Amino acid sequence: MSHSDLYAEVDRSAYTNAIAKSSPITKTFFALSTLAICVFAPTFVPTFIVPIIVFILCTILILGVAKVKLRLYLNLLIYPTIMAAISCIFLALFFGTGDPIAQFSLPWTTWSIYKSGILTSVITFFRVEGALSCLFFLILTTSITDLSLILRRVHVPKVLLEISLLIYRYIFVFLEVAEQMTIAQLMRLGKGGWMKRIRGFALLAGNLFIRSLEQAERTFTAMNARGYDGPIYVLEDFPKSNKLMLIVIVLFNVLFALVVYMLYLTNFGVL
Amino acid sequence: MHIMEGFLPPEWCIVWFVISIPVLVYGIYKLTKITKKVPEAKPLLALMGAFIFVISALKLPSVVGSSSHPTGTGLAAVFFGPAVAGVLSLIVLVFQALLLAHGGLTTLGANVFSMGIAGPAVGFAIWMIFKRAKLSPSVGIFTSVALSDLVTYVVTSIQLALAYPSEGSVLAAFTKFAAIYAVTQIPIAIAEGIVAVLIFSFLAKHKGNILSLLKVIKSPVSNVDKEVN
Repeated sequence: MSHSDLYAEVDRSAYTNAIAKSSPITKTFFALSTLAICVFAPTFVPTFIVPIIVFILCTILILGVAKVKLRLYLNLLIYPTIMAAISCIFLALFFGTGDPIAQFSLPWTTWSIYKSGILTSVITFFRVEGALSCLFFLILTTSITDLSLILRRVHVPKVLLEISLLIYRYIFVFLEVAEQMTIAQLMRLGKGGWMKRIRGFALLAGNLFIRSLEQAERTFTAMNARGYDGPIYVLEDFPKSNKLMLIVIVLFNVLFALVVYMLYLTNFGVL
Repeated sequence: MHIMEGFLPPEWCIVWFVISIPVLVYGIYKLTKITKKVPEAKPLLALMGAFIFVISALKLPSVVGSSSHPTGTGLAAVFFGPAVAGVLSLIVLVFQALLLAHGGLTTLGANVFSMGIAGPAVGFAIWMIFKRAKLSPSVGIFTSVALSDLVTYVVTSIQLALAYPSEGSVLAAFTKFAAIYAVTQIPIAIAEGIVAVLIFSFLAKHKGNILSLLKVIKSPVSNVDKEVN
């Protein structure tokens, strides 16, 4: 699945999932607080229990409650997971301190593998997976429009929001123009042969920006003609946040954090 | 170069946020000033953001918790100054985390610092030197964009090395990370420099009025290389 398809699908899911209409504040609060617990959990040996719990919880919420398609979730998860796995293998093989558990003599250097390197890499891998699942919960259930409304409520500077919304719109302009130009090149046999391909890419890269700018300026003129002078107003269709749900989330997370911290204090398997 | 969600230990997440926030606050102040003074620059500003989004999503996987790709922030720094480039990167990185799961929210501070602050600052400094010395703007754009791309990756390597020292040594870890990045990043930086020169000369030719309002070039001109400055 190509990049642009994937994120168009994420965008669609954010608007159409089963809990798209429930309060964005509750969803965002849940995702961010769980993310914080997952990342900030102290590092000790069974520490990957925390990210695993977070991962399972978020996956259940994404697939069971929000009813996001399994295929989309896996598609989203697979690339970062492969990256994390490769990175962590790299960390395990080349990093760490203390007494080496294995050593190999190479002609120019000795290559040592350390226990602490392997531990760090395992912990990092689980932390990445747990954090990713929180992030996915947020992006698959909450639309950018809803998030921008939340940002407005917490008084993020207006100019920042305005430029963000324009950028969000222009990303799609950019991709549309790129697609049109690629199709136009294909129709004129622009990709017949390697040299033509290179030349085609150069033309595309050079013209894409100027074409998109023209398109963007037309949008801007149209907006000006309709009285645009700064803030972009969106109809605030804001579902009330469910107080009970918020309290449940707060209690759950505080309890979760406390249990983790107690385990840490009692030196349960500390490194 | 986006460090993925959860890859950095918590203390380093906080450190990079603390370093980045003052610059971003200043950037937002500058951004307000620019949009008030030159409202015509808004489409260009937002399109620069979209450009950074698209160009930095063209990634090659790299094995160090991160990826290799053009950054696109050098050109934004030349047009709007490094602080505004930082704000644009902030917005873009949030969108990339939210739409593509590329980068993350906890690693946002570190990513903004490398892609939005350190790289553009160097690129902008080089551009200013070229401008003051009245050297060819095309060469200036190429150098500043390519170097700002490379500096971004040097900074990411430092960030990773600080978080994951190898055998207790940050320098040893830095060498490992930087060596891996260098393979993919040097050709990418050169390609990005060339694309930036193309875009800049197009803009100077067709949208010279905006660029001169932003004080990037003196007057709207038709022949970039001869008459700038």
